[in-house]
Amino acid sequence: MRKVILKAAALALIVSLLACAFAGCGKKDATKDEEGRTIVSVGNWPAKSNPQYESMNERKTRFEKANPDVSIRPDEWTWDRKTFYAKAAGGQLPIVYQTGFTEMPEIISSEYSADISEVLSKHGFDGMLNEDILEVISKDGKVYALPNSTYVLGLAFNTELMKSAGLMEADGTPKQPKDWNEVADFAVKIKKATGKPGIVFPSSGNYGGWMFMPVAWSFGVDFMEKDKDGKWQATFDTKEAVKALQYIKDLKWKYDVLPSTTLIDGTEYNKTFATGNAGMMIAAGDVPTKVFQYGMKPDHIGMMAMPAGPKRHVTLLGGGVYCINANATEDQIDAALRWLETAISFETTEEFKTNTKNYLDQCVETNQLVGVKGMSMWSDKAESQAWSNKLVDDMANSNINHVRLYNEFVADCPADIQPEEPVCAQELYAVIDSLIQEVLTNKDADCAKLLKKANADFQSNYLDNLTY
Amino acid sequence: MKINKDTDVAKRMRARNSARLRNNIDAWILMLPMVIILYLFVWRPTVLGGVWSFFNMRAYTVLDFCGLDNYIKVLSHTQFLPMLWNTVQYVLWSLIVGFLPPLFIAIMLNEIIHFKSGFRVLIYIPAVIPGIAAMLMWYFMYYPDQTGLLNMLLGKLGIKSFGWLNNPDFTILGIIIYMTWKGFAGTMLLYYASLQSVSVEVYEAALIDGAGPFKRLWHVTRPAMEGLLLLNLVRQIISVFQIMEQPLAMTGGGPNGASTSLSYQLYQYGFNSGGKGTGQAMALGVIIFLILIVFTIFYFKLNKKVEDRY
Repeated sequence: MRKVILKAAALALIVSLLACAFAGCGKKDATKDEEGRTIVSVGNWPAKSNPQYESMNERKTRFEKANPDVSIRPDEWTWDRKTFYAKAAGGQLPIVYQTGFTEMPEIISSEYSADISEVLSKHGFDGMLNEDILEVISKDGKVYALPNSTYVLGLAFNTELMKSAGLMEADGTPKQPKDWNEVADFAVKIKKATGKPGIVFPSSGNYGGWMFMPVAWSFGVDFMEKDKDGKWQATFDTKEAVKALQYIKDLKWKYDVLPSTTLIDGTEYNKTFATGNAGMMIAAGDVPTKVFQYGMKPDHIGMMAMPAGPKRHVTLLGGGVYCINANATEDQIDAALRWLETAISFETTEEFKTNTKNYLDQCVETNQLVGVKGMSMWSDKAESQAWSNKLVDDMANSNINHVRLYNEFVADCPADIQPEEPVCAQELYAVIDSLIQEVLTNKDADCAKLLKKANADFQSNYLDNLTY
Repeated sequence: MKINKDTDVAKRMRARNSARLRNNIDAWILMLPMVIILYLFVWRPTVLGGVWSFFNMRAYTVLDFCGLDNYIKVLSHTQFLPMLWNTVQYVLWSLIVGFLPPLFIAIMLNEIIHFKSGFRVLIYIPAVIPGIAAMLMWYFMYYPDQTGLLNMLLGKLGIKSFGWLNNPDFTILGIIIYMTWKGFAGTMLLYYASLQSVSVEVYEAALIDGAGPFKRLWHVTRPAMEGLLLLNLVRQIISVFQIMEQPLAMTGGGPNGASTSLSYQLYQYGFNSGGKGTGQAMALGVIIFLILIVFTIFYFKLNKKVEDRY
């Protein structure tokens, strides 16, 4: 009897395994539901515990009512470099997914993002997007994504620590360090007055390399260039790069203004700043979203302009984009764009206004700083940015002077706005991370020697292996 | 009459064959779910990983045959030798720091008369703490300023703070100390079980012959434990050679690559290269497999020798 039961169980398991294996082999059209509506799965959907969950569901209901031919399917998967390519190869990506500017060259070359040029034209986007941003999301004249946020890097500061160091005006406006030497002076003053590190600089998880970019550019460093044969060459074995790296080294060994740990990834970086353990850090305009979870009050966060370097005044352009799965049908691409337009619009439609307002309401509710303005991703023809900026001003939940210098910097940027390096950006960041770790742990590190090796390693390990 | 006899034999043989076949079918039906699962999740990926290491890949899409190109890229990576040396250092330190303590603790536990089960539970606690939580705990113990527990203790003794995981000369040893703390209890239980199987009469006979504790350890305990010790030695080498999660969570492979192992690099190729390094990840997997197969063959040969002695 026992044997019979075992056999029956084994057979049932085999049948269910085979059923799983052949599931989805049917000929039913997976892009339409039973009512013939086009299915659009949307990634980055907030989890039930997320404060944005309710407003997203309301947005979905309103959208489906206004667009009865579309069915939105929430997908909580959030873009992650580690899982993206496996999901893409397995055909498991949602139709709409969010990623960052840095990833675009690789996603485009991997052919996992649909060409949406035509549908953007059809929806009136021609001439509406900022040209610099359009360049980041395009290849050979075709557009592969729709930006949803753009930022430039600036200098974030802790208002309490700055105040203690006498670096704030009475109205809450910070004193602006004009160059990197002044940043070091400010950091020394903060440390002297409060005992806390004056500045935090990351060194791990590719964050160090990312933050080092604008510093190095401002010292006159070019990291790579394309030669006449179309091959990329690493070009940062230069005296300018040595000076930039020496500056980071000096923050540790000459000025002694950095935290004691030298292994700081993105999480640790934000946490160090948010918990009041650093006076300043280089950050993007989305810094409030990164620090509120550690309990940093809106009134304690400030932002100001990026300082200039000895050769250039430059900042890094970054941001987020929405891509549409390359396997999407024409109907799905069109429906996906209609969905995206409810939150990303150059026109101030009622739906756009509602969703933007809902988002800011949630920020205020969760005690996130409202007041920092993003860089416009639109051309001058778009009307929505001015409306959003006014709403941010109206809903600001902190002294607006804390972020005024950054907002002015973004609105009329006196610095060059430079996108990330065009190829192998993440690999370059990892190489730079190692350099930063070395100069922060070894007082006798020879910057010139380190850069010479890093330049050669980056060339031979990455650029020479590049196939696009 | 003869014909009838032949027919009977044939019938009996047919019946026996049919019974054997039925038995075989029964066995296959019982085994098949596990075979399917092993095929899908172990054998197929392993074989495909080996095959794909000879192909150009675009993320996880196979493109064209490229011969040994992926292997050349992996072996000519300027950090390959330092990473291999780091991996060997992990193994060496794990043998120095982590191989014998479980045995000594098992012997001590075996000798304890009172509260034996209480000690057993206490010793086993680190093994039941979830890995990431334990790593974070040690990360903060190793924190390089005065908020780190170890530096706090040094401070109380009037000693200057140490960099711990931030110190490239210590980082591998630091990770191994954590791993030993986390993993020794499981091994200790194996040794403890083995010790309990050693006959008390043999110890008594050794005592009567005038053997002291060290002589008893060497002449009675050691021979009984030798096979298990050898098994654990090779298992430890194989498992530490594949170290990945600990440097990933505790140091990010740093400082300046000082704790980057081959498996950590494989992870970077496979999951952190924007799809550009998948072929190299497969190739590095095969290289690690080949290195470990040498240890495994060595183990089987030694194991046979040990078994032949008894």
